[in-house]
Amino acid sequence: MYCVRCGVKLQDGVKACPLCATPVWCPETGEGEPAATYSDRYPIISRQKRLTVMASLTVVLLAAMVACFSIAYNTTGRMGWSFYVIVSTAAFYFIFLLPFWFRDPHPMIFVPVAFLSLCLLLLLISGYTGGRWFLTFALPLTAILAALTIGSIALFRYVKGGTIFITGGLLLLIGGSCMLAEFFEHLTFGTAMFTWSIYAAVVFGLFGTFLILAGIIRPLREYLDRQFFL
Amino acid sequence: MKRERKSRVWMPLDNAALIFPAIRRKNWNNVFRESVTLKEDIDPALLQQAVDELMPRFPSFYLRLRRGVFWYYLEEVSAPPRIQEDYAYPLTFMTRREMGRCCFRVLYFRNRIALEFFHVLSDGGGAMTFLKTLTAHYVSLRYGIKIPSTDGVLDASETPNPGELEDSFQRFAADHAAFCPEAEAYRLPGRRELGRFLHLITGVVPGEDLHALAHGYGCTVTVLLAAIMAECVLTIQTEALPKKRQKPVKITIPVDLRRLFPSRTLRNFALTVNPGVDPRLGSYTLQELCDTFTHQLAAEITPQRMAGRIAENVEPQRNRLLKAVPILLKTPVMRAVYNRRGERLGCLNVSNLGVQKLPEAMAPFVDRMEFIIGVQYSYPNNCSVVTYGGVTLINMIRSTQSPELERRFFSRLVELGVPVSIEANEEAR
Repeated sequence: MYCVRCGVKLQDGVKACPLCATPVWCPETGEGEPAATYSDRYPIISRQKRLTVMASLTVVLLAAMVACFSIAYNTTGRMGWSFYVIVSTAAFYFIFLLPFWFRDPHPMIFVPVAFLSLCLLLLLISGYTGGRWFLTFALPLTAILAALTIGSIALFRYVKGGTIFITGGLLLLIGGSCMLAEFFEHLTFGTAMFTWSIYAAVVFGLFGTFLILAGIIRPLREYLDRQFFL
Repeated sequence: MKRERKSRVWMPLDNAALIFPAIRRKNWNNVFRESVTLKEDIDPALLQQAVDELMPRFPSFYLRLRRGVFWYYLEEVSAPPRIQEDYAYPLTFMTRREMGRCCFRVLYFRNRIALEFFHVLSDGGGAMTFLKTLTAHYVSLRYGIKIPSTDGVLDASETPNPGELEDSFQRFAADHAAFCPEAEAYRLPGRRELGRFLHLITGVVPGEDLHALAHGYGCTVTVLLAAIMAECVLTIQTEALPKKRQKPVKITIPVDLRRLFPSRTLRNFALTVNPGVDPRLGSYTLQELCDTFTHQLAAEITPQRMAGRIAENVEPQRNRLLKAVPILLKTPVMRAVYNRRGERLGCLNVSNLGVQKLPEAMAPFVDRMEFIIGVQYSYPNNCSVVTYGGVTLINMIRSTQSPELERRFFSRLVELGVPVSIEANEEAR
């Protein structure tokens, strides 16, 4: 019995060619099953172990939070220091442990979740301590960091090639973000404007510009490739 | 009476094996399989007995993988591995826990005995000696005949020769490393199969026809198969990418160094070479591919050149500073270097174990011999070839859904006048 399309000989009883999926019909051999070349025993792929570890970690952290709260409440009658422990532990859980519940965690989902948790943690602490630094300092800084991180992950993941331009552009943006950060620091805490960030911006800016130039000037890029390959 | 406690045999990994524990992932590692199909069904009890009795003869196989502070090492197993029924597909994932018990498995299905090895133990050549000896021992237990120790079958009652256990890379390394930066190769596309199912398509080809065809092109069978494979990959790339974005098409061919150096080791002693062509420079006929591959291999596979390449691999292992780096730091660095270089130099492997022979007394009991290598982490196809009893088995394994490369490859063989029979392990569930 041969495949009419590929011309290869097939095992008796197969219904379609394994190479091109062309159906096989042979009136002489009739309907029958080909002899199996392998057994029907499949390996057990268990994700039980990871789930068990995650479940026990969750229980331990929850227990620790409850214990902290009860100790603080029994001794001082208020939440007191246990507030910081509880919110920090919760933020740690959402930032670092939550992805491990899933088999194939996607960074475009879990990185934004991590930054949201961080933002919430800072908001709660700012509110609890009566500090007035959340809106003008913590929120914009976290937002800038989140935009940079998520943007770079997305670019490296979904844009093929152009690594050198993306890296150069990111370095320029990091330099700019340093100046923004110091601006927000000035706005909130009244410190002097642009004392340290100018240096950072210059260094990042120089590196970024160099990379972008290297991307444009082909001989320079090839020279760098030769010098720095692993 | 006080019983004398025997200390466990242990050995450091050989030079080629160092990389395999470092690069394994949670769903992939480097495992290969060799099997024999007998004329009659397997008797599991006798097979287990044969596996048990060969343990003293093959101390470099009955080992498990352990982690030290600076290096991984291999340690004698507490008991020989239990034989198991074969799985629904070859080369099922070998977990860390399993490697911690024993680095190879013995599987049986109907009339087939299969051995699956984690690559730290040995390469295809060394493992074939073990498989032949195991089969000979099983046949002699089952049918009560004496099998002579020829054609790669070792005497099971002998004590192992120290030469069989040596790391030959250390002995044959040149004084100077041959350094050769290579271009990255094209990576075959394909949507990954869900789960870990590996598709295997076996082409059964008359060895004589293949040999005659290779002779017509003035090359060896390995070169011919690699050239046909390259031709198929070139077509796939041309259809997928515009010319300026194309990359070189290169085929990775493992070379058994026992043929170049006087070594009788049963551990790893092979290197790979990557002959290839650049499609941006023009198109190639099959004859041109065969010629260029033949010349590229001839230039690369010389004892001097190979000794230089061994030296390149051995040098970091001998560096005192690197030796003292804890394994926790070493592993990620090795993995990073491998990701950058290791798998990017070829499109796929064409691994040919050559023509296998068995002692005459044993041949009537053996129907066929198979050799299957797993897929690499980043490239989805691989091809392994072995010839026994005038029949060449070309095993093409893949982790992706579409058999595009296989279809082109086997159709091309048919076009060239070689009759091909196809067997496939279709997913049953």
